[in-house]
Amino acid sequence: MNSQIRLPSPRGTFRVWQRNMTIFRKYWKTIMFPNFVEPLLYLAALGLGLGAFIQEGGIQGGTYVQYIAPGLLASNAMFAASFESTFNTFVKLKIDRIYDAIVTTPVNAEDVVAGEYLWAGTRAALYGTGFLTVLAILGFTLSPEAPLISSFWALLIPPMLLLIGVMFSVMGTLFTSLIQRIDLYAYYFTLVVTPLFLFSGIFFPVENFPAPVPQIAWFTPLYHAVNVCRELATGPSVAVLADIAWILVFTSLLALLPIRFMRRRLIS
Amino acid sequence: MSTEQERGARARESTLIARDLRKSYGEFQAVRGVDFEVYRGECFGFLGPNGAGKTSTMRMIYGAAVPTGGELMVAGLDVTRHERDVKRRIGVVPQENNLDDDLEVKENLLVYGRYFDLPKKVILQRAEELLDFVQLTDKADAQVEQLSGGMKRRLLIARALINDPEIVVLDEPTTGLDPQARHLVWERLRELAREGKTLILTTHYMEEAAQLCDRLVIMESGRIITQGSPTQLIEEHVSPQVLEFRSRDGSLEKLIEIAEAEADAVERSGESLLAYTSDADALMEKVRGSGIEVENTVYRQAGLEDVFLRLTGRSLTN
Repeated sequence: MNSQIRLPSPRGTFRVWQRNMTIFRKYWKTIMFPNFVEPLLYLAALGLGLGAFIQEGGIQGGTYVQYIAPGLLASNAMFAASFESTFNTFVKLKIDRIYDAIVTTPVNAEDVVAGEYLWAGTRAALYGTGFLTVLAILGFTLSPEAPLISSFWALLIPPMLLLIGVMFSVMGTLFTSLIQRIDLYAYYFTLVVTPLFLFSGIFFPVENFPAPVPQIAWFTPLYHAVNVCRELATGPSVAVLADIAWILVFTSLLALLPIRFMRRRLIS
Repeated sequence: MSTEQERGARARESTLIARDLRKSYGEFQAVRGVDFEVYRGECFGFLGPNGAGKTSTMRMIYGAAVPTGGELMVAGLDVTRHERDVKRRIGVVPQENNLDDDLEVKENLLVYGRYFDLPKKVILQRAEELLDFVQLTDKADAQVEQLSGGMKRRLLIARALINDPEIVVLDEPTTGLDPQARHLVWERLRELAREGKTLILTTHYMEEAAQLCDRLVIMESGRIITQGSPTQLIEEHVSPQVLEFRSRDGSLEKLIEIAEAEADAVERSGESLLAYTSDADALMEKVRGSGIEVENTVYRQAGLEDVFLRLTGRSLTN
């Protein structure tokens, strides 16, 4: 009898999102700060530090720092949504028992999960917008002839980061819905998040590798997220539509699975 | 129809009906087919040892568990078909504290009210009233973590009332509270009953059940073994008077024979012997006449606890 597919209600989804927003508004300054600093550290160490050793001409006609900056926007969204859907969701599920309280109201378990997807996406977009602003200003101030963000299409990056955030939230929530112990996240971050971060074309183009590396990359989510951000930062080609379609299909195919598993954990 | 009859008819109107209700977790049958009815405006109790199926039954009422079989109607609605509508009409005080620690005391009520889609104005007004009702007005802006156990429980009760529910479900509302805090909770629950709310609660405390419940059921191993009002149950299952003999040496063994001959029922529990009788004086005479030395003898009226122990077995609780 529990086997039917339960779709979340928009109203319940919004209520869960709203609960998270209420708390975020109280603490946003302290919560956001580390997320700004981290990508700047990567830019400084890898973009400027390592970039100095990379031959003139850089990658794909730009400097190294120009190459990696948009990719870091995508990975930043991945990290924001992943932390939200793993550690934060686990605490709400098993330690603070927030969801147990919510599901005794007209908000159902499926609304809780959908609300958390949307919230993780929102958080990814908020962080990303801040980071994007820093990149744009920094780029124009330091080297106006080679800015880090060079296209007005970049205005579409925040909504794309929302979508990317939802995608990684679905993945993180799937893992959360299957584990009983918080230390198991070491597996998720070491075996899923970190390899994606390193091999999705943020730091070097994967297309230049021999088969099957580019083919494998095509099947991974961050690769497409990086493509989308890079294209929008520099002026997109039509190919970006394929990447967006990939993200949409992957996310919607996977989204119902954590809803089902989480419902089973909340409603016996 | 006279007004009195009308009132009588209304009082008997059922707001919750369970028919052959069952719940299994894999092979384990937590609830093995229970039938009960709760009337509008009454306080209805579930008693039973741990693992009797009380909490599983509660969870099915408030939608945290799906019945495996049977029928459960809450506020006139089938719980499996009208999940959201049932939850909209009830208030839940869970066994374990699940207040939102990231929110302040009053915010807990405001955010919870939003889950019911109540207008902001209504939520604000009710939050004020409810904080007053549970005597937490001066803690409105405190962090939840700073509250004592009793205060947290009262806040849970206030939270359960934010949607002005017809039925309030309370799972062990005073477990773990000190006597003062417990009495304060009881007083608030009686006030709710006076206002006409239907209360459904589980408890381990016989005193709590006797104090609050109009009617109750006793559960054991997933079944209801008896039901009725506290006085009915005492009348039905035990004799009105109890003599409790305590002794450390072997004298109790000798006493058993006399007690069994004279009393309606005798129970042995560790170093004491309980004799249930309708004539304690006569039994006492016999014991004195026998010359058996007893260290300590206590006389008292039979209570719900005696019913409970009689029916669910003394060994379980020892």
